[in-house]
Amino acid sequence: MNVRYWLLALATCTALAGSAQAEDTFKIGSSVGLTGYAAVIDRAWRDGLAVAADALNEKGGILGKKIEVITEDNKSQPQDAVVGYRKMISSDQVSLFDSGCVSAGNFAAAAFVMQAKLPMYLCSILPQRDKEQEWAFSFLAPPKFEIEARYRYIKEKTDIRKVGILYDPTPYALMMKGLGEQLAKDFGLEVVAQETYKPDDADMTVQLGRINAAGGGAVIKIGQGGSTVTAAKNIKQLGLDKMLLLSSNDDGSIFQQAGQVLGDRFFFVAPPVQLPKQLKPGPAKDAVDAFLKYWKPKYPDRDPANSARAWDSMMVLAKAAEIAKSTDGTALRDATQKVPSYVGAYATFNFSEKQHVGITENPFLIGKFATGELVVAE
Amino acid sequence: MTSHVTTSIEPTGIRWQSILPIVAVLALAAVGFVSSDYIVTVLGFAFIYAIFCTGLNFFMGYTGQASFGQSAFAAIGGYGSAILCTDYGWEPLLALFATMVLSGVAAVLVGYPTLRLRGHYLAMATFALGLIVYEITIEWTALTQGYMGYSGVPPLGVAGFTLDTLKQQLVVLVVISLIGVGIAARLRQSRFGRALASIAGSESAARALGVDIARYKLIAFVIAALYASAAGSLFAHFVGFISPEVYGTTMVIQSFAMLYLGGIGTMWGPMIGAIIVSILPETMRGLKEMQDIAYTAVLILILIFAPRGLAGLSVLFRRTRVRVLEKA
Repeated sequence: MNVRYWLLALATCTALAGSAQAEDTFKIGSSVGLTGYAAVIDRAWRDGLAVAADALNEKGGILGKKIEVITEDNKSQPQDAVVGYRKMISSDQVSLFDSGCVSAGNFAAAAFVMQAKLPMYLCSILPQRDKEQEWAFSFLAPPKFEIEARYRYIKEKTDIRKVGILYDPTPYALMMKGLGEQLAKDFGLEVVAQETYKPDDADMTVQLGRINAAGGGAVIKIGQGGSTVTAAKNIKQLGLDKMLLLSSNDDGSIFQQAGQVLGDRFFFVAPPVQLPKQLKPGPAKDAVDAFLKYWKPKYPDRDPANSARAWDSMMVLAKAAEIAKSTDGTALRDATQKVPSYVGAYATFNFSEKQHVGITENPFLIGKFATGELVVAE
Repeated sequence: MTSHVTTSIEPTGIRWQSILPIVAVLALAAVGFVSSDYIVTVLGFAFIYAIFCTGLNFFMGYTGQASFGQSAFAAIGGYGSAILCTDYGWEPLLALFATMVLSGVAAVLVGYPTLRLRGHYLAMATFALGLIVYEITIEWTALTQGYMGYSGVPPLGVAGFTLDTLKQQLVVLVVISLIGVGIAARLRQSRFGRALASIAGSESAARALGVDIARYKLIAFVIAALYASAAGSLFAHFVGFISPEVYGTTMVIQSFAMLYLGGIGTMWGPMIGAIIVSILPETMRGLKEMQDIAYTAVLILILIFAPRGLAGLSVLFRRTRVRVLEKA
């Protein structure tokens, strides 16, 4: 009888301790592609969330609750993302999602995440359907900003007026390609060729040759990963000595490799956090420094760009929770729409009821690789 | 690239052994019915893949041919259902059958010239078929929306009745997969099934027996395509979203793992394999980055100790039982 008594008491204590711990924790779910095509960006996103959670937990967490980030690898596949999202809703009972850049995975889950009344902070673009967009917030810069930054540079700093677009068929790249066609005239440029490639293509000489034959003096490369280095090598191999390559925003290691190949003919789009030495004192520099203070000691050799976005998303969340005074999903969604303009490490974020793409001001600079480091292209 | 026929390894004629897998599947479905949406989702995918693999088993297991391109027919089913239901407001069930017909026609058109090939050449040709359809789903954006994918595909339903909850959908998936296995079993025991087994055993011998090799191979290929199409459609209705990645090479690799783990050429092997391969990684989710290593290690161990697949283990039990009876 005594043994039974003790066992019952022990079970009760364990259950109570468990529930108390759950009440003291603010759980954030994150579906990220730690393997597969999105691995480079999404690993950075995961690490940015972890660093931000550590920083916020040092200051007492969110509404006095310790932040716990639960990450599930979606292997860059929608099916795995669906399972991971379901697990985080049913088993982990997260209050909010702050997920990586696998658009298809986020789109596949958007419908039932919306039904569960949980907000989705996303590294990717927003889901397509209006109802799903009401619960989603994108921390990705609108694609036109990357295009505008490059076109402005070509217009103001070079004599080139004919450009070619080299793009991969991902959703973000396709949107950017469409805008590239539309915006060229505004900058006095003409798009003379549009060529596509696959992210794992080992050779792009055919596409680059066509752009050159059409009179393109600069290549607007849309898409991320090693393909940028491949394009740089191919330009050199083809002997196109005057052709410029202007790359999308990407990991700093990619910029270094491409810069080593093409030298001063390689340029890239970069947020301020990727070129911190050139920043002037002000709120943007303060935000970058606040992030790097936690990031650099942990990851001294890693590029901070995508992790800075994840960091910013957590800071926006902290502010939303302060406004909501609750960790309820609906309250957090509504409060996110009321967060005042936030100057982050990656960009300034302006969310509102009708504005769920947070970056509304172009944060991008044009950078180049010189004297062994990434610098602003003057 | 032909596999030895293994159609005689399962015991037949013992009623309880025939019923046991059905009971096990229903028990598993019952567990899902009282579990969270997470478990239901995992089981739902398992039964969708069970349908896909049961079809693939016709061509690879019963007929002994190689096909790396069945994902193409799943893509036709998935995109067909998504487009017909989302853009044209078709009933999901009607769309499912319509796309099965479309896949069947495509399989005849593709299979007629392709199935003249044998061995590695057939494997390469079918792999190319899968890659071609995958490229089409990416590049033909006006039809497929490319990488943006198709959202808002309605859940399965008929005549205005919709399966709104995941658990309702799970029940239907279980029923459809059991019907799929039932049809496969009947066909396998028929004259047609015996002809396929003879082709798997030796094409020359089958031809000598008067089996029309090309015709039977084509029929098996079409049946596999019908199953794949149904699985592709069901995936679209179950998730509500599809994109090219869903029907990529991952699907081919996963279905092969299921088929060989469960037991190629056996009746219940595809179902067992689909369930194990779907559930096993979830039991190891806590291992985080080590999950894939542990999962593949277990798969390798299973394949080492059960080279004919898990369904083939029933032979061991039968032998043990026979030995016990002989001793008695």
